[in-house]
Amino acid sequence: MVVEGQLTYLYCVADREPKIREIEGPENNLYSVCHNSLYAVAAKVEESKFSEEGLKKNMADLEWVKTNATLHERIIEQIMTNTCVIPFKFGTLFNTDDSLKAMLDEYGEEFKAILGRLENKEEWGVKIYCDTEKSKHFSINDEPEILKIENEINSCSPGKAFFLKRKKAELLAQVVNRKINESGQENFDLLKELSFEARINKLLPREVTEREDDMVLNSAFLVGKDDVGDFINMVDALKVYYENEGFFIDCTGPWPPYNFCGLSNQKVRNA
Amino acid sequence: MHNVVTKSRDVTLLEVLDRVLDKGVVISGDAVISVADVDLIYLGLKVLLSSVETVEQLRGSPFVGPMQEPT
Repeated sequence: MVVEGQLTYLYCVADREPKIREIEGPENNLYSVCHNSLYAVAAKVEESKFSEEGLKKNMADLEWVKTNATLHERIIEQIMTNTCVIPFKFGTLFNTDDSLKAMLDEYGEEFKAILGRLENKEEWGVKIYCDTEKSKHFSINDEPEILKIENEINSCSPGKAFFLKRKKAELLAQVVNRKINESGQENFDLLKELSFEARINKLLPREVTEREDDMVLNSAFLVGKDDVGDFINMVDALKVYYENEGFFIDCTGPWPPYNFCGLSNQKVRNA
Repeated sequence: MHNVVTKSRDVTLLEVLDRVLDKGVVISGDAVISVADVDLIYLGLKVLLSSVETVEQLRGSPFVGPMQEPT
């Protein structure tokens, strides 16, 4: 299918026929391309909007990105209710269906291996945030050394108290830092135990998260469908424990396995 | 369906963008156009997020086609 002025937008690749009829709407032009025992879920999009130049312009338009990134996610999520998928990055385009098929030839064996590895597994995301002030507050009573300084502050001269307060603040910051590292590691290790694979991603700053607290762990797990119950129970147990320490644990899923479908030439990217 | 933390209810746009713009398979080849890595900060996500806080009902809501202009 070659249509003048249109490009082929690829959402995902599956090894079973995806049920796209159910999600086919009048606007989204979804169809599947079967080739080399694989199914690619794609849509025809206007070249003016998705050409390199068009994309460059549109990616600066927040509303456009929001609408189209959400659509990308929704479509892949619908597909993955019926079949295991390899999700592609937003904005993967081909000139024609033939060039898409050529790609399925080139990467076919790798895709099949990845799909085999992903079968019956789901991606879950766990982000942990820390309210450092709150965590400091909780930490005072846990640290004998800090308690000792605090007692001294109450009974010494104002001059000495000034320096002791500074020392206390330094110690407290160290303690909280240590707690953040330890809790992040502990949470990650415990959840990793219940997963086939696990990734740590880069932390996102407050400007992006729009939260008052700081992201201290951004992680993703590939969990067996039979183990999801255990995984969630573990997250809940960790939530209860860590929320008393000033941490907030945010768990979302199931996601398409964005974090676990790296091609061999992407190893560096996903490391 | 898992009751505790299913995504369909209250997933922030951040979660979606953190994945679809940054992760997922990237292929290279002559016939392929691909969006370059997008930095969420560069995108001015703060502005983006304040316009719509969460993507409600990620499943089951009507699709908006890629060609439809945002309203």
